[in-house]
Amino acid sequence: MIAIIKRVKELGSNALIASREFRDYVEKQETEINRGISSLCILSTIIQSDKKELHGYKILKDLTEKTNEMLVIEEGTLYPMLRKLEHDKIISSRKEESGRKRKFYSMTGYGKQVFNHLAGFYSKLTEAVAPLFDVKVDLKQDKYFYCPMCANKIDLSNKDLKFCTICGFNIEQELIERGLRNE
Amino acid sequence: MSENEMNFAINEFLKEVKDKLPEWLKDKKEHKEILAELEDHIWSKAEELSQSGQPTLETVGIAIKQMGTPESIAKEYKRRGTPKVYISEELWPYYKKVLSGVATLIILITVIVQIVNIIFGNLETIWDGIMGIQIGLLIAFAVITVVFVVLSMEGYFPEDFMSKKELEKRKKEPYRAVEKEKPLKPFIKPIGEIIGGSLGLIFGVFLIVQPLPFIFSLMDGLFLLYLQFAGIFMITEGVLDITRGLIGKRQPLAHQVVHAITIGVKLASISVVVLMMNRPEIFPILIAQGPSEALVNIGIAPGFYTLFRIIAGIIIAVVALSTLDNFYKIYKLESYKK
Repeated sequence: MIAIIKRVKELGSNALIASREFRDYVEKQETEINRGISSLCILSTIIQSDKKELHGYKILKDLTEKTNEMLVIEEGTLYPMLRKLEHDKIISSRKEESGRKRKFYSMTGYGKQVFNHLAGFYSKLTEAVAPLFDVKVDLKQDKYFYCPMCANKIDLSNKDLKFCTICGFNIEQELIERGLRNE
Repeated sequence: MSENEMNFAINEFLKEVKDKLPEWLKDKKEHKEILAELEDHIWSKAEELSQSGQPTLETVGIAIKQMGTPESIAKEYKRRGTPKVYISEELWPYYKKVLSGVATLIILITVIVQIVNIIFGNLETIWDGIMGIQIGLLIAFAVITVVFVVLSMEGYFPEDFMSKKELEKRKKEPYRAVEKEKPLKPFIKPIGEIIGGSLGLIFGVFLIVQPLPFIFSLMDGLFLLYLQFAGIFMITEGVLDITRGLIGKRQPLAHQVVHAITIGVKLASISVVVLMMNRPEIFPILIAQGPSEALVNIGIAPGFYTLFRIIAGIIIAVVALSTLDNFYKIYKLESYKK
């Protein structure tokens, strides 16, 4: 993960950025913040891809573009992260049979469930902390429902889903009560 | 020529990365896949950086530079354990298991050797045996700790020591909801510990105060001193038992600490028996004699010295073996911590 401070050039000798102590502290903090969300963003990039599978180089490229170069994962960091996600059964991989024999990564069924829960938690957390930074977050509640028990992110287009897959909460009843689904 | 140079530059970089990768990755031959992926990434990046779409030596150089240093790449593969002191959380339970297993083995072997020595009448080695246990435990603790710290720093996980067969079996295991664990039996009967500890305490005080002058006045002064030492150890053990009783059915960690102290006290108390064993002539044998049936100390006859030493040796062995119960309880209490 590359902290933004690493990419900022020192424009004036009196600027705070010229201080080594400040640079080191801020870089450490930014790296910590990035580390937590990087895996989630990698998974999100794979899920949002057209073929639902991507190779490492494309993941990095898409991620950099989609986040307007705010979240930049170093090449050397990406592959250990992918390996860990694969080891944890969140993603699986297949090798291209011809050409460069690239390794393509896709989400497993279990991984999708984990992702939905973590994405829901992260979204709700972002919404909750937003007022602290005087910003507004739109959770698109017309498209998604966040489980009141576990914050699992549930796609409302899936009409067959009656219970939260993570905690078993009765979503249907909740949606009817909120007027988002008919009886 | 240029393609050869590009290949050379990439191979050199990958060679350096391979050297820096942790051993557990190399053991699994997984590093080959990792290096292939890194190579593909470098080529893709070099193509993108080149205006013609064909990689050049210069763009390959830039792509390699952007990959980061071989050390930083390897470091990411090592960063997979959850830090807990200097040993990762994943390896911590195995560290404790190995430590307690080796400690039990050292004590067991030393005690067996000492019992054999006692049987064959070689009594001088008893003290060496106690020292041996202490030195053995210290060396084992240091070596095992260093090994586990190194394994943690290199990012080893318990599964890295599993066979391929075991790993395959594990991989195929479907995701299961966690089953409710059976409730554990209480690990202590507080009242029993308090009563037992109190009896030890009373007996210890009795040995220190030595309140019956018509008996104690007949005994050798040195023997009485040894009895007082034994009394101190009894009081200490009694206090430790009462402490565990008072802590009750909670705080398993506190119980483990008390058991560990008890092991130390028990092993230290062996020294009193060794001292007595070396001075059979001061051990009293009291009998009632004479017309007034007064108590007289006749001592042990020299012919029974060997028997006396054997009995003392057996007591030492029993005390040392009883520490195994404390070790087992420390191990057992681990499951109550969750």
